[in-house]
Amino acid sequence: MNSSERESPIERAREALRTVIDPELGYNIVDLGLIYEVSIDDAGMAHVLMTTTTRGCPATSYLQEGARESVAQLPGIVGVEVVMTHDPEWSPQKMTPEARRYLGIEEESIQ
Amino acid sequence: MSYFAAALVALLAAESLMAAGWGFPNAPIEAPATLLLVHLVVLGWLSLLLCGALFQFVPVLIARPLHSATLPLPALVLLLGGLAALLTGFLGLDGTVAATLPFFPVASILLAAGFSLVLWNLGRTLWAARPLGLPAQFVAVGLLGLTATVAIGITFALVLAGDATTPVALRIFAYGLPVHIVAGLGGWLTLTAMGVSYRLLAMFMLAPELDRPSTRAVLRFGAWALGVTVLGGTTMILVNHGTAPVFVAAGVFGLLTVILYARDIAHLYRARRRRVIELNSRMAAAAVGSLVLAALLIVVLGSMGALARHAGAVVFLVAFGWLSGLGLAKLYKIVPFLTWLECYGPVLGKVSTPRVQDLVAEQHARKWFGLYFIAAWAATAALFLDSAWAFRVAAAMLLVGTAGIVLQLVRARRLDDVPASARFPAGSMRPPLVLSLTRSH
Repeated sequence: MNSSERESPIERAREALRTVIDPELGYNIVDLGLIYEVSIDDAGMAHVLMTTTTRGCPATSYLQEGARESVAQLPGIVGVEVVMTHDPEWSPQKMTPEARRYLGIEEESIQ
Repeated sequence: MSYFAAALVALLAAESLMAAGWGFPNAPIEAPATLLLVHLVVLGWLSLLLCGALFQFVPVLIARPLHSATLPLPALVLLLGGLAALLTGFLGLDGTVAATLPFFPVASILLAAGFSLVLWNLGRTLWAARPLGLPAQFVAVGLLGLTATVAIGITFALVLAGDATTPVALRIFAYGLPVHIVAGLGGWLTLTAMGVSYRLLAMFMLAPELDRPSTRAVLRFGAWALGVTVLGGTTMILVNHGTAPVFVAAGVFGLLTVILYARDIAHLYRARRRRVIELNSRMAAAAVGSLVLAALLIVVLGSMGALARHAGAVVFLVAFGWLSGLGLAKLYKIVPFLTWLECYGPVLGKVSTPRVQDLVAEQHARKWFGLYFIAAWAATAALFLDSAWAFRVAAAMLLVGTAGIVLQLVRARRLDDVPASARFPAGSMRPPLVLSLTRSH
């Protein structure tokens, strides 16, 4: 059994979403904290709740479509629903430490 | 993208004319050659640039699509036709071009129609998004400034053509030039640029969006400065009174606007979360510095009674240090961003894609921006010193700096700085040079 087979479907979906980058920040949307929720029901329908770094972001439709495409390629997925929300608004606190380091964001500046 | 391409051609043409010794300071400030040059800069370059930027960014400011995605193209055609007619009309004033057509009335009709389409489209877009956030309120006030500027400009054109002969039109023609200049440079171009810059700088530097008392005060004082200039100035002209008190009051409001704006922008830079900021954000700071310098010069020269003598130098600093500097800096972000959306947006999630920042080579662009700002400040100094030859040398440097920046924009558009292996992943396509194919969100 290889590592991808050991991962749960949701972990695989999150890994697939990492292929999508926010074009402005240049880092993947999972570690930027733009993916709020991923769930997959028994029938193989995936639901992704996501946001953008700023309301009205010109890349919104592309990010939404990119998220859908990346998860749709996974085996066992029959469909993907991507919902965009700004509740709550994204903030740099939602980034992983790796993403913060990549962007040169100081830890104390986001407290 | 078509607006930006047309605007950049106008800028390069204007700088070439300045370097060749065309217009002020080699010719009087009111000479037809100077009028041509000024309108090539403020209409051809700055207004087209700002209209193009607003069509892209008003939807971002209000998180709603543009009222009409089809109107910008006919508006551009009308504006370019109107600009060509206006410039030809100026050439006809001193007989350089034979007045074979009624160029000024034609320019009036085309420019009025073009700007009406712009105002209608942006106005309807903003109206549908009420209540507006602060940056969008700046744009709304800026559009009122545009309306006033165009209305006064058309009055001038019709008087020049001999078509408007009423006492009211003649009085506005005789005394309304300062109102036209302040409403255009201060109301339309500066207030709009301020509003957009608040949002763009916050977005690109990951700084908190500003909605604090000082930001609201910037808008309030800016709107008062515009209102006092247009309503007060026009009223004084029509009732045959001097306009000096009006401009002193507008100057005080304008000064407060600039001081508070500069403080806000300094706060944005300090509060940014991205410690290492991109070239476009660093160059925007040089543009804001030019605005502050221009405001200081207005205060100092005004108190010495020397403002009228040096008006050309101050206007040049506002147009080239502040507005053009900010415009070029932001184009260095907007062009790669739109290009990224067109080329890589459709394949996002299917293949790995470069970042927006991979489309530019800042180490090459840095020297052209440096040359541009040094040249803009040197040209301002040359105007202060009444040195026509030094101005031409500085204008030539300005032209070289701008051409270097434009070349970097073309390279970004052509994806020349993206490593060849990552340039065209499967399914992506090279975007056309001057057309933009992004889809609305």
